[in-house]
Amino acid sequence: MHAIALRHVTKRFNGTLAVDDLSLTVPTGSIYGFIGPNGSGKTTTLRMIMHILLPDEGEIEVLGSRDTEAARDKVSYLPEERGLYKKMTVRRLLRYYGRLKGERVADLDTRISEWMERMELPGLDHRPIETLSKGMSQKVQFVSAVVSNPALLILDEPFSGLDPVNAHVVKDGVLEMRRRGCTVVFSTHDMLTAEKMCDRVFMIFRGRKVLDGTLHDIQEQYGADTVRLRTAAGVDALRGYDEVESVNDFGQVQEVRLKGDPQAFLVRLAARTAIYHFEVARPSLQDIFVRIAKPREQELAGMELENSAQLIG
Amino acid sequence: MMRKTLIVASSEFGTLVRSRAFMISVLLMPVVMAVSVIVVRATRDSTDTKNRTFAVVDYTGVLGEKLSLLAGELNRRGAAAAAEDGSVVGAKFLPVLVPPAGRDPDQLRIELSDQVRRGELFAFVELPAGLLDPGSGVRIRYYSDHPSYAALPEWVRTSVNALILTERFRTSAVDSALVVRLLRQTPVETLGLFARDAQGGLQAAQQVDQFREVGVPTVLMALMYLTVMASSPQLLNTVIEEKMSRISEILIASVTPFQLMMGKLIGSAGISLVLTVVYIAGGLIVANYWGYADAVRPAILAWFLVYLTMAVFLFGSIFIAIGAACTDLKDSQNMMTPVMLLVMLPVVTSRVVLRAPDGAMATILSMIPTATPFLMLLRISLQPGPPAWEIALSLVLTAVTVTVTVWAAGKIFRTGLLMQGKSATIPEMFRWVRAR
Repeated sequence: MHAIALRHVTKRFNGTLAVDDLSLTVPTGSIYGFIGPNGSGKTTTLRMIMHILLPDEGEIEVLGSRDTEAARDKVSYLPEERGLYKKMTVRRLLRYYGRLKGERVADLDTRISEWMERMELPGLDHRPIETLSKGMSQKVQFVSAVVSNPALLILDEPFSGLDPVNAHVVKDGVLEMRRRGCTVVFSTHDMLTAEKMCDRVFMIFRGRKVLDGTLHDIQEQYGADTVRLRTAAGVDALRGYDEVESVNDFGQVQEVRLKGDPQAFLVRLAARTAIYHFEVARPSLQDIFVRIAKPREQELAGMELENSAQLIG
Repeated sequence: MMRKTLIVASSEFGTLVRSRAFMISVLLMPVVMAVSVIVVRATRDSTDTKNRTFAVVDYTGVLGEKLSLLAGELNRRGAAAAAEDGSVVGAKFLPVLVPPAGRDPDQLRIELSDQVRRGELFAFVELPAGLLDPGSGVRIRYYSDHPSYAALPEWVRTSVNALILTERFRTSAVDSALVVRLLRQTPVETLGLFARDAQGGLQAAQQVDQFREVGVPTVLMALMYLTVMASSPQLLNTVIEEKMSRISEILIASVTPFQLMMGKLIGSAGISLVLTVVYIAGGLIVANYWGYADAVRPAILAWFLVYLTMAVFLFGSIFIAIGAACTDLKDSQNMMTPVMLLVMLPVVTSRVVLRAPDGAMATILSMIPTATPFLMLLRISLQPGPPAWEIALSLVLTAVTVTVTVWAAGKIFRTGLLMQGKSATIPEMFRWVRAR
């Protein structure tokens, strides 16, 4: 069964296409990553799944129901930031959000205490939200989304702005929800997190689906044309090779996209410098993301140049 | 469906109850009670106790001395009355006769003015020579640097006039005592109506009490205004806060916009109700203290609740719509201006209704739905009250307006809640209302 199914969904804002003929299925119990550059339609898609926005065309099914409103109580949503009443105390706010999902206060109180402990937020129950640090309030926000025991949890950028310790705590929270059978969909800019956490990854670009599948499938699609290497000469060692299509320099490590045979390249490179590490790898999600988004951005930039040239001319 | 609305309502109520504005309104209650008792007591009991010494420059040669005698008598009477009922002795008027004796009048005026400035005198009075001649047209002149103090010039006016009349009668050889008797004015006593009591016996008409008939209705209208304004505008703030901090997205993921809005309105109505109960209870305690406990009829209180509910839903939904259409408080201020005009209308026009509750102007004003809750309540509580059909019509008009406003606000709320970054214009809001 699918937790979410979108069929040919289209959404326009004042004539601008925000989401274009999008079809997507999220299997129950999976962790599903939404990636895509800013303004590509991620949040619009999440909002349509949440029934905050209605699609102009197409059909959305959430938790097996086409009337997404009916499934509302079983779905929790965490907007990108804020989303908390500043003056309310932590427990009052958590109770309110939980009760709006149809939960009883008694059940909520047990779960609130449990989650507050799990998220390392001891003794904050009666503190007003405005007195919490950014990391704390982001964790409270996460608790507010999970106390109602949702079957589907939708998180918009849950890790952005968290320090490594808090990010770890929230990650454990997400995995705990999956362990309980909850389907988790989250959007992120952090490709490493998406790679490491998600069963499946979905990429939307300019309102259209450009990637969808398991990480393995996606990497398969892009082939094994990437070499990750560390050499004595660093990035300078890579100059002047015809088969090197592009270089992504991380300083110590370089990621190279090759046209030809990696073994032949290794031999030629070894003649030039000492090689500490040479790995034929599938392209990283980051790399794939950039490959998809970048040329079009250049294209866009080119168009803008042309336009301004026309204006000047 | 209804359950979630009530959850929102109880949360809104909880937030409003904790708000500073509500705390102040409630804490103000005993203060208002105490002040109202003190003010009434103060105006009733404490008279002006400062003695007023003033110079009298008499060019008539007759009136000055007699005025002194009158003042002496007044002061004696005041002291005697004070001794009898134990109250404070009131101010004494102490005239000092200054004979003009051929001095330059302007020179004298300067001298006396300087004495007033130095505080040796409170004022000075000129009684010009022609005063006794009815055709002369001259006036009594009262000079003072306390233009707002009315007791002394008023006393001078009545006393000197009485003296002038007596003097004129005397010189015309008319018996002044007789004239006074013949000219005695007859006062009007304002009464209510006769009625039959339960046993069929006659119930004599009661004397009309201005406070009971006009004061109580005015206070009720003011109370309605206060309770509506203590809760409705808060809705604007909470909606803007929810919008700016993206709370609305979380809420809309759990409840429909309409449930959310109705919850807010019910919460707000609850707050108004609590305030009303607190204030009416306090008001009744004060009323009881002054023997006016029966001045507030239970039927009026029932009307009060009906109109209060309507007013809260009407103004509440307007404020919610504005909050949803704006992205920050500053933008909302601009859109508030026309609404504040509507809000002020009943306050500005209440005098018209008080003066002639059954007049055409009062009738029309009380039919304007935004003013109805306040002005119709005022008209109903002013005896004998408007005819039943007018009340019915006002209820229908207001109910229709409330329904339409809540519906339109719901549409604006639904669209505006998710609008970020830019406040809507009024034409845009109309488009949202018309949108499916």
